[in-house]
Amino acid sequence: MTVLLEVEGLAKNFGGLQVASDISMTLKAGDRCALIGPNGAGKTTFVNLVTGVIPPSAGTIRLDGRDVTKLPSAERVRLGLIRSFQVARLFKSMTVREHLELAVLQRDRRTFRLFANVAKVAGLADEVAELLGTMGLTHVAHTAVGSLAYGQQRLLEIALALAMKPKVLILDEPAAGVPHSESQRILDAIDRLPKDLAVLMIEHDMDLVFRFARTIVVLAQGRLLCSGTAKEIVADPRVREVYLGSRTNAH
Amino acid sequence: METMFGIAVDGVAYGMILFIISVGLSVTLGLMRVVNLAHGAFAMVGGYVASYAAQSAGLPYGVALVVAVALTVLATLPLERLLYRRIYGSANELAQVLLTIGLTFVIVAGINYLFGPTLKRIPLPELLTGTVELGPKAIPTHRAFVIGAGAATLLGLWWLLERTDFGIRLRAAVDDPAMAAALGIRTERLYLATFALGTGLAALGGVLGAELLPLEPYYAIRYIVLFLAVVAVGGAGSIFGSAAAALALGIVDTAGKYLIPNFGEFFFYAALILILFRWPHGFFKGRTA
Amino acid sequence: MTSVAERDGKAGTMTRPIPLGKRRDLDWIGIPLIAAVGLAAYWLLPDDLALLTRIAASALFVLSLDLVLGYGGIATLGQAAMFGTGAYAAGIVAVNWNNDPFAMLAVGGLAGGLLALVTGALILHARGLTLLMLTIAVGQIVQEVANKARDWTGGSDGLSGIDPAPVLGMFRFDMFGHTSYLFALAVLVVGLVVARRIVRSPFGLACRGVKEDPLRVSAIGGSPKAYLVVLYAVAGVFAGVAGALTAVTSGIVGLDSAGFSWSAEALVMLVLGGTGRLYGAVIGTAAFMGVHHILAANDPYHWMAFIGLFLIGIVLFLPGGIVSVAERLGGLRRGKEGGA
Repeated sequence: MTVLLEVEGLAKNFGGLQVASDISMTLKAGDRCALIGPNGAGKTTFVNLVTGVIPPSAGTIRLDGRDVTKLPSAERVRLGLIRSFQVARLFKSMTVREHLELAVLQRDRRTFRLFANVAKVAGLADEVAELLGTMGLTHVAHTAVGSLAYGQQRLLEIALALAMKPKVLILDEPAAGVPHSESQRILDAIDRLPKDLAVLMIEHDMDLVFRFARTIVVLAQGRLLCSGTAKEIVADPRVREVYLGSRTNAH
Repeated sequence: METMFGIAVDGVAYGMILFIISVGLSVTLGLMRVVNLAHGAFAMVGGYVASYAAQSAGLPYGVALVVAVALTVLATLPLERLLYRRIYGSANELAQVLLTIGLTFVIVAGINYLFGPTLKRIPLPELLTGTVELGPKAIPTHRAFVIGAGAATLLGLWWLLERTDFGIRLRAAVDDPAMAAALGIRTERLYLATFALGTGLAALGGVLGAELLPLEPYYAIRYIVLFLAVVAVGGAGSIFGSAAAALALGIVDTAGKYLIPNFGEFFFYAALILILFRWPHGFFKGRTA
Repeated sequence: MTSVAERDGKAGTMTRPIPLGKRRDLDWIGIPLIAAVGLAAYWLLPDDLALLTRIAASALFVLSLDLVLGYGGIATLGQAAMFGTGAYAAGIVAVNWNNDPFAMLAVGGLAGGLLALVTGALILHARGLTLLMLTIAVGQIVQEVANKARDWTGGSDGLSGIDPAPVLGMFRFDMFGHTSYLFALAVLVVGLVVARRIVRSPFGLACRGVKEDPLRVSAIGGSPKAYLVVLYAVAGVFAGVAGALTAVTSGIVGLDSAGFSWSAEALVMLVLGGTGRLYGAVIGTAAFMGVHHILAANDPYHWMAFIGLFLIGIVLFLPGGIVSVAERLGGLRRGKEGGA
């Protein structure tokens, strides 16, 4: 199985504050991995480091064999490293359809065509229609995102990520903030993600974690605590301690 | 050399005037995030009131100065409540530009209507005419006074920001508006007070600088670019930044006018572009003093 | 003040992103409509052709501003730099080498576009006050260069003696202004067609994204600055053509064609009409210049007071410009208001 993401010795300190130390992990094609840890463990920081939003103090990141540690964010996106945001971040004035059109055009580097008509770009309509169908968003294709229900916005985010043909997809709490009535759709969408895609999901909801993940990585205080299958993690006393505190702590 | 010294004195004096006028603009930009293109108009109004008070009402210089500052502040306070308050915040940039340009135009037309298009002077008192000995050199007293006033303003503002309650609250609100509100800082009153401070300083600068920036109706439009340049180069919200930028720009501009009179303006704008290209956030990125 | 990436995603009340699924920029019907109105004006107002010509050329200039501001979110007070550069370039070429009107337009557009490309690459990483300052500075420099290069530009006296050759060899620029107006109208209409095309293209879509949320654009792999620079350059071409058109139709170019006042006036006209719709530029220009003509203020200060109050009024009461009123009346606002 191809190794798609390889992180080695990733570390970051802000001034004197060490927010990430010596984190190493690999993701292979088809992996479904959940990243968990208590609040403040550094999960979002880790994702920001991997995606290039902040530069690391040490360590390397390889995407499909290529060293991307020094590459800017947008470049990593073009190479197939895609993330979704914890709080939906979309273009409120654009329709659902326009979001997907833009993502596909950007991916294929066809955005500097000043005189083409978006409606007539070869293959675009078909691909967008397919994405809309997969996510169950066809009926709202022409609705401006500002008017969409939050759950639909999260679905669009996933659709957007897929439109970019990711190799590695990082989902940051994909169901957060979504009312229970709508979250099923999102879970189904995650189930149906392409099989050869490597997916890393940050989550707090343990039900979702157990349903989705084949491997789990636990982060605490910026360090990798342990990793393994769901069974192994649940049984590991260190994990319980980090979440619940040990009995000897005086509180 | 005589010329160099002359340029330096003029440049520093000019820079001090720019500082006194522009620092208010910088602070309001830093705190309320509003680009106030009418700031030059406020300075102009101050100058005109003082000119009228001194020439037509025969008041002595000092009194005219105080009256000018007080009246200008009083006149602009309602503007803050009625107009400016609606356009605070960086999302309203276009609205700010348009509203304040509109206000500038109205003020320019008003000044012309009331006082006519000719240049207005503010007669200096005996005390400020003549020269002051500084070792082997002599400086026009007025220039020395202006430089002194600028230094006093700088120190005064520093003291205000670092050593008073008002200053602490102001800095907190600039650094983190949400937090400041949560801590119970009455931001509305703070904005009003800051606006008054900025306007008052503008009026002061307008009066003191009447020799260097002559008073005529187009003053507000002619010089606003300079004041904006000081704020952009110095970094919005930074007192020391404004001072440094004002002095730098004042000296560069004066030097340009003396040494390469044909290309003076060219030089100034080219320098501005280069500086802002290299430091887009200004010399001092700070939002505090 | 803040970099492109740091700018907050909100667009404020005056350049509110168009919130509907149905696009509200210039629909195809708008262009023939404008052409028809333009032709009607030719027959109905034969004594005002000079004014109408100025309106048409200025509308093209304001259109260029709509591209950068309404579709890219770039607040600039220096668009006249490209206008003036185009005007002078066209004028100088006409006086010295080739006075074919189309050649003049081409040269003007090229000059404006090049200036915009170079300055855009230098200044578009900045936003807010800093960007405003930089655009003003560029305008001042262009004005200074025009002032100093007397031999080419006529300095403060302006460049005169521009005598364009007949259009297509057939239509002389007569002194009644017939050819001038029809030529200007034609150029404006072509400009609208091209602008509409660009705005509906993949590029236009990406620019709308950059205007609303540059960070999100990076997150899908695009470079916000690259889009803005190209948009700025394209708008520079439009502004340059507008400047050249003015040179062709009026025969003179003055220093104020590159000045701050002209940039500010264009902004007023655009906001009056309404940003981000293309036809707002035309409506705003026609309304503004029409009112100016009617009031025929001899005292520039009276006009200033009027514009000033007017600007304040617009910001407070009509931030969307004339088109927002028209749209509200026409019931074009559907229920699904997205809002910004």
